[in-house]
Amino acid sequence: MGLSLMRLVNAIVAVCLTVLALCVPSHAQAPTLQSLLQENAKDIERPSRRTVGEVIDGLLKSGAPEVVPFLIKWRDKNVWLNKDEGIFVFGPDERGDIEVTDIDTGVVLGTFSSRDLKQIKPNSGVRGVIDTALVEFQLLDDNIANRISAVDSIARDPEASQLEALRASIPDEPDADLKVRKERLERLLTIRYGATDEERVEAIKSFEGNTSIDVRAALNPLLVTRRQVAIELPEGQNIARRLNVGPEFTREEAYTLLVDADLAPPLIENQVRDNAIVANAVDGKVEGIELASLDTNTARDIAYAALVSAGKADPALTENELSALIDDHVFFETYAEKSMAVTSAATATLVSINRAVGLQRTADLALDALSLASIYFLAAIGLAITFGVMGVINMAHGEFIMMGAYTGYVVQQFIADKTISILVALPLAFIVTFGAGVAMERLVIRHLMHRPLETLLATFGISIALQQLAKNIFGTQARPLTAPGWLDGSLVFNDIVSISYIRIAIFVLAVIFFVLLLFILNRTRLGLEVRAVTQNPKMAASMGINPDRINMLTFGLGSGIAGIAGVAIGMFAQVTSELGANYIVQSFMTVVVGGVGNIFGTLAGAGMIGSLQKVIEFFNPSNTLAAQTYMIIFIIIFIQFRPKGIIALKGRAAGD
Amino acid sequence: MTRLTRRLALAGATAIISSSLVMTASAQDDTIKIGVLHSLSGTMAISETTLKDTVEMLIDIQNEKGGLLGKQLEAVVVDPASDWPLFAEKARELLTVSEVDVIFGSWTSVSRKSALPVLEELNGLMFYPVQYEGEESSKNVFYTGAAPNQQAIPATDYFLEELGVEKFALLGTDYVYPRTTNNILESYLKDKGIAEEDIFVNYTPFGHSDWSKIVADVVALGADGKKVGVISTINGDANIGFYKELAAAGVSADDIPVVAFSVGEEELSGLDTTNLVGHLAAWNYFQSADTEANAEWVTAWKARMGDERVTNDPMEAHYVGFNMWVNAVEAAGTTDVDAVRTAMYGQEFPNLTGGTAVMLPNHHLTKPVLIGEIQDDGQFDIISQTEPVAGDAWTDFLPESAVLKSDWKDLGCGMYNTETSTCVQIQSNY
Repeated sequence: MGLSLMRLVNAIVAVCLTVLALCVPSHAQAPTLQSLLQENAKDIERPSRRTVGEVIDGLLKSGAPEVVPFLIKWRDKNVWLNKDEGIFVFGPDERGDIEVTDIDTGVVLGTFSSRDLKQIKPNSGVRGVIDTALVEFQLLDDNIANRISAVDSIARDPEASQLEALRASIPDEPDADLKVRKERLERLLTIRYGATDEERVEAIKSFEGNTSIDVRAALNPLLVTRRQVAIELPEGQNIARRLNVGPEFTREEAYTLLVDADLAPPLIENQVRDNAIVANAVDGKVEGIELASLDTNTARDIAYAALVSAGKADPALTENELSALIDDHVFFETYAEKSMAVTSAATATLVSINRAVGLQRTADLALDALSLASIYFLAAIGLAITFGVMGVINMAHGEFIMMGAYTGYVVQQFIADKTISILVALPLAFIVTFGAGVAMERLVIRHLMHRPLETLLATFGISIALQQLAKNIFGTQARPLTAPGWLDGSLVFNDIVSISYIRIAIFVLAVIFFVLLLFILNRTRLGLEVRAVTQNPKMAASMGINPDRINMLTFGLGSGIAGIAGVAIGMFAQVTSELGANYIVQSFMTVVVGGVGNIFGTLAGAGMIGSLQKVIEFFNPSNTLAAQTYMIIFIIIFIQFRPKGIIALKGRAAGD
Repeated sequence: MTRLTRRLALAGATAIISSSLVMTASAQDDTIKIGVLHSLSGTMAISETTLKDTVEMLIDIQNEKGGLLGKQLEAVVVDPASDWPLFAEKARELLTVSEVDVIFGSWTSVSRKSALPVLEELNGLMFYPVQYEGEESSKNVFYTGAAPNQQAIPATDYFLEELGVEKFALLGTDYVYPRTTNNILESYLKDKGIAEEDIFVNYTPFGHSDWSKIVADVVALGADGKKVGVISTINGDANIGFYKELAAAGVSADDIPVVAFSVGEEELSGLDTTNLVGHLAAWNYFQSADTEANAEWVTAWKARMGDERVTNDPMEAHYVGFNMWVNAVEAAGTTDVDAVRTAMYGQEFPNLTGGTAVMLPNHHLTKPVLIGEIQDDGQFDIISQTEPVAGDAWTDFLPESAVLKSDWKDLGCGMYNTETSTCVQIQSNY
């Protein structure tokens, strides 16, 4: 026992000595990083964007080689505070028992519970400042990830001092793509911080017609103006334009400018005027005017004028004096940017850019409209068959969409690979909802044929029941239906025109089903029989077609397509039990507006509703709900004039 | 023979029925009843079902500890079905038919406002656990969620101070909470010197899914070189589509940060969060809070409900509210509403995130404000935690409510005008 204790003490002494040997020499040369950090302990522990810059500058000025690695670890949340001893240590960004090391020596200090230490977590504002400080060390780093992070940091938060470092790093940049980015960034920085007007103008002109957000973000601040007033137009200032009093620049604005510049006395405010009247009132009268009569602003102004002429109040400016003051001064706007060459180049470039922006906005809106139309089309196409062709009002159509989405979710629980799971989910969703559709047709709809009101009520009931069933099985939380990785992100044409791949996929799916349905209805035996049965079931039956069987198959087909739509919609929106209910109104609207009984009609309806929705949203960006309301009003009016929809069936096919 | 068995069976049945009647009667005497007024169906079931489970779990825990005042606690669960007027009906049923001593319930502000008149008429007691828009103070409700100054304002300050945001997009679902909150925020931002044209507001319907245009609008805000930030009061399922579109558009949190007031662990569990890392949420609780009490709570919740379940902020509000109520009943020695209400003031109970919650005379709690960054595992990394902030029923940032004050303890008034020193009104039927 005693012996082992001795051994332990020996070991401890040995460790202490080695630690001392490591620490002491560095102590003698320069302050350790730890001591530097201790001086700023508060700002390191709870860093704030506004104060952290000074701290970092201080650390970097010390010249200690460990500062840069420390900054990286600080940013990555790998710094912890040992609260008991008040020292900073390195440790991983994890929970539970963690192994911490000394900041200066890298010696393992032991394993601690994360609850006994405090993790230092700089927020993203502070991380941005740290990144900016690291730029000069990382622009020429061997690791391309660090170089990219440096370039990202400059792009996000440019500073004048970075221009030189960036320029110096361009010739030696080995990666071609990054080199292009660096050169572009160099021009953007030149616009802001270039030394001569010539190079700035040249940089500005190089972005002619470029609609990127960062270009506009660099150019627009150059053209920020400030309104000013003076006796004469001053020399040597970069004046944007002279302001003349008119509808765009009111007398009130001119007067406010004069007051702000101390060139005119401030307006007598109503409160001040009333106080003056009250203060001078004697026996309910002020300057012979009854106080009781002062119930309008004009009456009070007259009373105040009387006080002024009696010398009892400060005079207010009269209209004529005001006009004279305005006439005596010039009003103008100046650019914050001093150089006129730069501002005129920026103005010219921005004009060309804004023209392009307008065109591209329209293009983007058109893409959005196309995408929304394809979603509505996909949601409504099944209904176009069951409601449009068969004439069955199926309120549970939305629930078939929901079923398809949940089928997709269930498949993903069994097949981990997202691509394969979606490929399996699509046909499986068709089979499941086809089965559900057939079952519903056999059990309910067949018995209610030609009784639309009862069908409507029965299917509405089924819809509610199916929603509750989904809640009981899958719970009320939204379920994840994740698109395959290759559908992540967007097809980006530029900063304005872009569309997510998932929407493109939905568009493609909509096109496929449009063609497929056209083919089935017009080129196959089933299609022929469907058309025959819907036009005249008795005649069709006498031709040897079994209308019962055809009705069942048609309903199944419509429901099955709803299931596939469900998988697609679930991938871009949320899979909940209300998923279908959100689309049922739009689906009916699409079919009715387009024209009942016609796939082309559904296409036209979806196109119209989709683009209309987007156009209204464009004019009313602050309230999407109102946009939908306006659209429904428009559709009500539209139906008044074209009750049979855009593409109305004619002749015998119309069935009336 | 058959007649005899039938008679026997009848007698047996009567005996069983009567004995069960006796049992329920005796059970009534021996238990303290707690009403649970959370929607278990309809659109809000997504969030509220969890809270029903939370209250049941809290009751079970308390019963294991030996109940309250020597009696067992019993939950009376009703389903107001996300149907706002039904909240009033069910509250009345709980107070008059089931005769509960306290109600834990409600999520949306509109449902709370629907139940208020009943609670005030029958002098009931309700604990409301969700962050809300303020501008209300009822004698019969304890607001254990955050008031705007405990969530919205600190989060906006964080945007202004720490992230340097100069241009704001306020996106919300179209109903009372987002509209009131955005009104307060707009007026607050203008006070802070943000120009009107630098504030973009948009409202969308419940369950909105077509977000591409709105996300594009937000991205386009950055064209004048100012840093853009999004403050989201989007509620419910619509968040999923919004975040999916945000991820698809490649909007990184470093370029355009999004802070959400209604997105918690529960909402993120339906999402793949890899592309959302770094976006923010402001709450008074996150599951990731690293304290002993929270670890215990999370373990208990997962053991009861399943490993994949998460905890969230309104659950903590019920946890604090329930325990405060238990302590207040013990202090008062009775479940009588007025006695318990008086005993509630000044009640203290430790938060799950550390620190102590105190019940204020305005029926709000002191709470720390937490800001968390979304991580790839759907949890939040807490990057900012303030000292406890006292909840303020009437915001200081709208001129008409800046002069109002709520103090039920000394002034006995929830809408007290400090300028005229008068009580505007006692009831909260505004």
